[in-house]
Amino acid sequence: MIQLFNVYKSFGSKNPALIDVSLTVNKGDFVFITGPSGAGKTTLLKIIFCTEKPSSGHALVDGRNLNRINDRELAFLRRRIGVVFQDFKLLPRRNVFENVALALEIMGFPLSMIRRKVHQTLRYLGLANKEGYYPPQLSGGEQQRVAIARAIINNPLILLADEPTGNLDPDLTMEIMALLKEIHIRGTTVIVATHSQELLKDTRRRIVTLNKGRIV
Amino acid sequence: MKIAFFRYFVRQTLANIFDNRLVHLVGVGTMVIAFLIFDAFILIFVNLNHWTEEWGRPLTMSIYFKGTPERVVLESIEKELLHFPGVTIKRFISKDDAMETLRGQLGDKAGLLDGLEENPLPASLEIILSRDKTEDPLPYRMKTRLETIDGVDEVQYSQEWIKRFQAIMEAIKLIGIVFGGLLFLAALFVITNTIKLTIYSRKDEIEILKLVGATNRFVKIPFLIEGSIQGFLGGSLALIILFLVYITAMTKVDLGIGFASLDIIFLSPQFTLFLLLMSIIIGFIGSTISLGRFFRT
Repeated sequence: MIQLFNVYKSFGSKNPALIDVSLTVNKGDFVFITGPSGAGKTTLLKIIFCTEKPSSGHALVDGRNLNRINDRELAFLRRRIGVVFQDFKLLPRRNVFENVALALEIMGFPLSMIRRKVHQTLRYLGLANKEGYYPPQLSGGEQQRVAIARAIINNPLILLADEPTGNLDPDLTMEIMALLKEIHIRGTTVIVATHSQELLKDTRRRIVTLNKGRIV
Repeated sequence: MKIAFFRYFVRQTLANIFDNRLVHLVGVGTMVIAFLIFDAFILIFVNLNHWTEEWGRPLTMSIYFKGTPERVVLESIEKELLHFPGVTIKRFISKDDAMETLRGQLGDKAGLLDGLEENPLPASLEIILSRDKTEDPLPYRMKTRLETIDGVDEVQYSQEWIKRFQAIMEAIKLIGIVFGGLLFLAALFVITNTIKLTIYSRKDEIEILKLVGATNRFVKIPFLIEGSIQGFLGGSLALIILFLVYITAMTKVDLGIGFASLDIIFLSPQFTLFLLLMSIIIGFIGSTISLGRFFRT
């Protein structure tokens, strides 16, 4: 599903963000990417999601070489990858329904189907009564769930989550993690980047640790 | 295009305009100013063109006599004119008629003429050439032949100064094309930057759209519609303002040059429609340029 070969990424500064990273994630895996702040976790997710291109090396996602992908192909690939961003990336002037519906609207689904799927997903995430709310009116946990709703509404092959519990209290953290596990059980490959050791305690999932841009 | 997409684009465009109404207002305001300058220039240009055409149309020729002409002189002129088809005699103006006309034109100051011992104004004969006969060298040939008739002092025709005026107009036209082109580019530049404002004010939204898998075309279309709407609004408001200024100027100002009054025309409906269409196209092109730059960076 995801293959990285000797990926090197530098933003021009002295210390490269990723050095010689090779990684394979198979269909249906649940992988934690961990490491201290600045270890390269977010950069790794950005490479997989193709918001950054490797300075050298190759990245293949769902069979596509991200070095050779054009804008249109990339757009279509992203529809198969759900992303939960650290800062949620919700549109503040669109309500919950509209934020979630966005992922379906870009694909040209008819309104009736969009309504049905959005209602269903929001119900699943416990946000059925928040449809008309705007992001600034929601708590951090609720905004996180809206971001998850938008990421999973297309039944993506891959779900990437960057510090999904970073801003949340322990109860909400457990709630979000339970949700991600449930999404994984439904067949989605899940990659979670986190610096929280608490989250990794007692987990039997695969853990990839990064330090100063290298897999250790 | 799928109906769902069409519905999305229309809804998105209207929502964008409403959400960013201040930026839009500034944008449309800027466009109004840019288009107004351009349209006003076009209006002046159209009028200059109109006047050259108007004044150049019926060629009037005045035959001035030495003293009061004898009947035989008038007959020989009539005979001479038979050689020139398309020529009609408009009227004979006697010395007294000429003085009367001058008195009328001087109005209150007509008393100035009382001091004259004798009437210095010549009698004249006005003739008109139809439009298709006004081309050189016919008027010149007529002038030369008529001036050989005994009793005729001088022959003057309007084409002489029209020709000079036309030469000036040609120069103005050339300057106009250059200046109009520059104004067009300036309008396009202003509009492109204005639209860039609306695009940059929504760059987060564009980023999110792209992150969830929207194609570039999908992201761009609402902006292109918006740019065209801005162009339409800016263009129509500029034309409305120009028309109101025109109406006001027409009712308040009596433009006259010498004894001839100037007829000021507004842009024809076809030309107005053309300018409006051009405003929309400029809005569209401006958006395309701004988006191109935005997506490259």
